[in-house]
Amino acid sequence: MNAAISARGLAFAYRPAEPVLRGVDLDARAGELVCILGPNGGGKTTLLRCLLGLAAPSGGTVTIDGRPLAGLRARERARRLAYVPQTPGSAFAFSAREIVLMGRLSHLGALGLAGAQDLEIVRAAMEMTGTEALAGRTLDELSGGEAQRVMIARALAQQPTILLLDEPTSHLDLRQQGSVTSMLRRVAHDWPMAVLCVSHDLNVAAAFADRLVLVAGGRIAADGPPADVLRPDLLREVYGIDVDLVPRPGSGPPLVVARVPA
Amino acid sequence: MTTGSYIWWCDRIIRCKTWRWEAEDGDRDESGSPVSRLASVRIRAGPQCRRRAGNRRPAAGVTRAFAPARKPAILAAVDSAPSSARTAGLPTAGRLAVEALAAAALTAALFALCTRVGPLSIDGGRWWSDPVWMLRAMRLAAAAAAGAGLAVAGAAIQGLLRNPLGDPYVLGIASGAGVGVRAGLALGAWAGWIAWRTPAFAFVGALVAAASVHAVARRRGRVDPFSLILAGVIVNILNGALIMALYLATDPLRVDEFARWAMGELPEAVDPSLLAVCGGLVLGAWAAAFRRAGALNALGLGDDVARSLGVPVGALRVEIFVGSALATAAAVALAGPVSFVGLMVPHVVRLATGPDHRRVLLLSGFGGAVLMIAAETLCRGIGPHLGAGRLPVGLLTALLGAPFFIALLRRRFAEEDA
Repeated sequence: MNAAISARGLAFAYRPAEPVLRGVDLDARAGELVCILGPNGGGKTTLLRCLLGLAAPSGGTVTIDGRPLAGLRARERARRLAYVPQTPGSAFAFSAREIVLMGRLSHLGALGLAGAQDLEIVRAAMEMTGTEALAGRTLDELSGGEAQRVMIARALAQQPTILLLDEPTSHLDLRQQGSVTSMLRRVAHDWPMAVLCVSHDLNVAAAFADRLVLVAGGRIAADGPPADVLRPDLLREVYGIDVDLVPRPGSGPPLVVARVPA
Repeated sequence: MTTGSYIWWCDRIIRCKTWRWEAEDGDRDESGSPVSRLASVRIRAGPQCRRRAGNRRPAAGVTRAFAPARKPAILAAVDSAPSSARTAGLPTAGRLAVEALAAAALTAALFALCTRVGPLSIDGGRWWSDPVWMLRAMRLAAAAAAGAGLAVAGAAIQGLLRNPLGDPYVLGIASGAGVGVRAGLALGAWAGWIAWRTPAFAFVGALVAAASVHAVARRRGRVDPFSLILAGVIVNILNGALIMALYLATDPLRVDEFARWAMGELPEAVDPSLLAVCGGLVLGAWAAAFRRAGALNALGLGDDVARSLGVPVGALRVEIFVGSALATAAAVALAGPVSFVGLMVPHVVRLATGPDHRRVLLLSGFGGAVLMIAAETLCRGIGPHLGAGRLPVGLLTALLGAPFFIALLRRRFAEEDA
């Protein structure tokens, strides 16, 4: 399997006595949407930061398109890896179009001026994410889902091979969750691109991801299609709580329901 | 969708299919009326697409190989089409060049006008050889350079700190440069040629002040706006005390010159070599800051996003602080510690052009020059009527800037309360 991004034996510790990641192996292919799940403090955000090169792992390697991440220059990395943070925010009142144009930064020349092709790519990225009508508005004037789509358009304008997102749907209502997740599916499958999301909602993740990766205690507890990962015994072990699986109305992987202690 | 972007996507998207984004049922805009946002994007299989359709999986590094290297011929045709809608508001090279030329022409016109205006009349026939004109032109050029330096430093610091209250004077960088200037002058002749010595000492002072303010205000890797201003207050008090100490040590014959300098007054006769050196430093810092405009924009989205966009955040921080200290030092070496120019100008420019740093940095330099030329001319013009002889330009910028700063602070409080 030719992985777009792959981690081998990834370890990370803020303090040597308390490792956050203890040897993580992870692969993602282009055309695959992978959700990284797990309990709070289990290391999923740290894993994302290591994959992005924002945190330097204390052990192990990350390779991007077969090349070590640590050996890539910042601009080269930005042309392969794009990142969408949990909460979209901007210190200045940039318009949506200006924010999407920032995605071109690593492709621009010495003076940092955008050419006609950059503007075409910005426009196409905004069309793809349905944000064209929002082009002139600032982030403050957008709903959470619209702002998130603008940030995804900005990431697509980077023309990456790998897209990493931190909890892209956690602040969104049901309808906006649906619009963002279906867009991510299209990006992953049709671009094709490797899309990795950190998420804490098992049921949302199971519905839209091709593969779930369960991270707990700094290790991969399970990695596979949603139906294989959502097992009551496994979830009890990882989350320390009893769960029931109920069939999802319609089709799809089962729903996980936590048992409330009596 | 234009043909250009259509082919571009065909190139990029290996599996050709129809893309469609539709507004969900019930989507409403802010006014509550249903939105017919039906931006449907269709990518039909064109010839380019079919050619590549056999490639199911992109080779490693396809992004790199594809994008900038070759430009589909059809894009050239698209480029020549009317593009106002596509590029509305975006700072493209051509648009920036037009804006810069217009701003430069305006600045030059104001400069030319102001060299002819003043309490002393100029020989109308051969004005260019009149010593009054020459002294005035040198002084206004120094004012312009100082204004440009302070405004560019302010714009860069505001962008770097994501903080609209950033300003070389408020943060104590200008007073640090002032300590350097006076220390250099107090050391006397042995320290070397004045044109280099003054800006060099000012630069050291500015850098020390910038580093200490930043170190004091930095907490867990973040720089809080209000801690920064407090740190600036402390550094300003310390620098003020140092300047007063140097004042006491001054030759009694030069005390009046010192006091006027400390209020922010341009000397009657500007040293031409000092003007050349400081003007060059301002231009260099301006160009260096402009090159980092895109990175400063990205920094507005947060450190992590900026890093993921390829911005070396740590190196950028050092570069902007050093460049701002350099521009401030050059300004203070010419005009003394002139307050609030670096705060006001970028704000006014941002109101007019939006927040993109390419524009803000480019036009703030001209804006600072225009403000200082106008303020200097005004001070020289009204001074005699007030019986003051000449008024220091720093007095006028302080009178303008203090209410401006208070208004900004109040607006920020209102935003935080909302």
